[in-house]
Amino acid sequence: MPAAISVHNLRKMYGSKAAVDGLDLEVPRGCFFGFLGPNGAGKTTTIRMLMGLAPPTSGSIELLGLAMPEHVLEVKGKIGLVPDESLLFDHLTGYEFTEFVGRMYGLERPVARERARELLELFELDSEPRKLIGDYSKGMRKRVAMAAALIHRPELFLLDEPFEGVDAVGARLMKEILLEQVRHGATMFLTSHVLEVVERLCDRVAIIQQGRLVLSGAMAELRSGSETLEDVFVRVVGAERPAETLDWL
Amino acid sequence: MISRQTRAIVWAQWCSTRNRFFRANRAGTAFTTVLGVIWYGAFCYLAVMVAFLLSNPDEPASLRNALPAAFLICFLYWQLIPVLSASMGSSLDIRKLLVYPVQRRDLFRLEVVLRTSTSVEMLLLLAGAGIGLLLNPRVPRWAPLALLPFVAFNLLCSAGVRDLLVRLLARKRVREIVVFLLVLAAALPQALLLTGGSRGRVRQFFSSESSAAWPWTATARLAEGEFSWLSVSALFAWLAAAYVFGRWQFERGLSFDLSEATARSAPSARAASRLEWWFALPNMLLRDPLAALVEKELRFLARTPRFRLVFMMGFSFGLLIWLPMTFGSRAAGHSLLADNYLTAISVYALLILSDVLFWNCFGFDRGAIQVYYLAPVKMSLILAGKNLAAVLFVVLDVAAIALVCTLLRLPFSGLQILEAISVTSVVTLFILSIGNLSSFYNPRAVDPEKSFRSGASARAQAMLTLAFPVALLPVALAYLARYAFDSEWALFGTLAGGAVLGAIVYAYSMGSAVRASEERKETIIASLSRGEGPVAS
Repeated sequence: MPAAISVHNLRKMYGSKAAVDGLDLEVPRGCFFGFLGPNGAGKTTTIRMLMGLAPPTSGSIELLGLAMPEHVLEVKGKIGLVPDESLLFDHLTGYEFTEFVGRMYGLERPVARERARELLELFELDSEPRKLIGDYSKGMRKRVAMAAALIHRPELFLLDEPFEGVDAVGARLMKEILLEQVRHGATMFLTSHVLEVVERLCDRVAIIQQGRLVLSGAMAELRSGSETLEDVFVRVVGAERPAETLDWL
Repeated sequence: MISRQTRAIVWAQWCSTRNRFFRANRAGTAFTTVLGVIWYGAFCYLAVMVAFLLSNPDEPASLRNALPAAFLICFLYWQLIPVLSASMGSSLDIRKLLVYPVQRRDLFRLEVVLRTSTSVEMLLLLAGAGIGLLLNPRVPRWAPLALLPFVAFNLLCSAGVRDLLVRLLARKRVREIVVFLLVLAAALPQALLLTGGSRGRVRQFFSSESSAAWPWTATARLAEGEFSWLSVSALFAWLAAAYVFGRWQFERGLSFDLSEATARSAPSARAASRLEWWFALPNMLLRDPLAALVEKELRFLARTPRFRLVFMMGFSFGLLIWLPMTFGSRAAGHSLLADNYLTAISVYALLILSDVLFWNCFGFDRGAIQVYYLAPVKMSLILAGKNLAAVLFVVLDVAAIALVCTLLRLPFSGLQILEAISVTSVVTLFILSIGNLSSFYNPRAVDPEKSFRSGASARAQAMLTLAFPVALLPVALAYLARYAFDSEWALFGTLAGGAVLGAIVYAYSMGSAVRASEERKETIIASLSRGEGPVAS
């Protein structure tokens, strides 16, 4: 079975600067994959290219064995996306948005409506059904995005900081749902700055810096000895330096 | 056939509009509705007149002469007015929809239908024309059908033009050149019409004798019931060309990466340093925190694509479009417009700038409103900072107009320059007063990266149609005084009175605006934080 994500020599240039510079990545199916890197390393650009929102300057992308952009519609139909918040529609209620996403993925309206209702109950967003997404807290926005991502039972999830701003109870619920999806054969591609979460959830990780892959492997191999993922991350991206303070601070 | 996704997008937009409507400020909604009724009511009235005119069977000659020119004007209005008003109507928020498995052709169809939002006025008039022709016994029943391909041609053209401009204007270095070319293109017909040699050819272009190969002439011929294969072929050839153009531009827009375009055209360090003196200006004249506030506004606005576009339009559109009209005709000599040219252009610049500088002054840097509420600075000082920055840009725009007029050696006296400055100052005071109130009573989030306003924005139109006449009232009185007393002293005296009144109104409105900022704090923050539905309007 082909890999869930297969990226070869992927490059994205912004002017003369390479945001992603010759990235090679293989994400096996059924894997919970953590994609890490410091700010500005190229994580969001990579995810945007995987989502088909930004065309790569060069290189190839295959998702679920289908080449992009040739099979873009087929691929999109199999992907669940928890994007950054700007892709939500602020003037819709959570229920309306989730139903909308279901219909965009081709579900019959009654099916989309029923699933939207159930998902909002599951994510505990059903107490204020008339509340607009624009009035949601940050955590609620992430939860509604996650609910919408699940509605068509995708095979591959692209998760961009899905736990950002979510309270502990909500985060626990989201993690359980995601792990359950992995147990059913789905693949997770997760970016997060919260390394403890990545450490607990992911079985494989890759770290990029300045658009290049600097480390990739199974979590168990990377954390050899007493090193935590944070230790590995700081060592690999070369950010180890003594904490400095300002005289006036 | 309408796809499931298309229906979902339309449904989501309907929900979005409904939700926004029921949660909107009642007074604001009523105000907008009344203005919409007046504006579109006027066009409905015109459409009825057109229907009456075209249903008259006794005027075939006038019909034949007028229709090609009328359809040409309709085409120009449809394609040019959105550009001139920097408002390209509603359009799909492609960035939000592209993540879903929706066919590109479905998105294109929706986008083309949304182009109706830029020219509802013309659709009303064409509907009137169609009904009139249908009722005319001398015109065959099939003839009004010729209007349908003409409408489709305009919609497709408009879709292509919009996508092309949005893409071009996203590139910083190209943007200024494109605006300049647009200004020249808009000024060209009048320049040709009013300056000698080419006059005959231009008049022929607008007349019934123009070639039947033009879409407006072909439409007119067919709509009159004059069937010819040439007209049919010409009309459908134009329609096909417009489809190819529209679809091509749409596809290019879909694969357009704004971040990439922005990065490619990032300013050089040298270019950035050239503007430093301008940004540092407030620090020479004012103390912190006011200086810091004004500097921040100057820096922010100067980097905002929409502001830069409007600022350029402020002095270039007025100058180039009105210049041929005012001084082009050799017989013009002294006309009202020629005598008050500088003043008129300056006030026009103010009108163009008002949308970005006055009516909704927190709309661009919407995130900053929370910082303003948290900072240990009075809201009156923050407003004053925004107002001062706006005044500095108005001064710069008027100075640019005066400089260009001087370089063109237009016949202006020192008194006329003083008159332009005085009039602009008085009008600015009143606009600032109204703008400060509207910024807190009708705040709305605006994307500063978009060069063109997405929607016609009824509120912005409302502010222009209602607030501008109020702001111009003291100036009108001043000109009336000059006419009555035949004295420049009367003009400047009344303007001085207007300035004093403006200062009082400004102080009073500042107090009201500051009170509103406290009373409506939550509503203001919420309004400035919201995004849009699938369709940005």
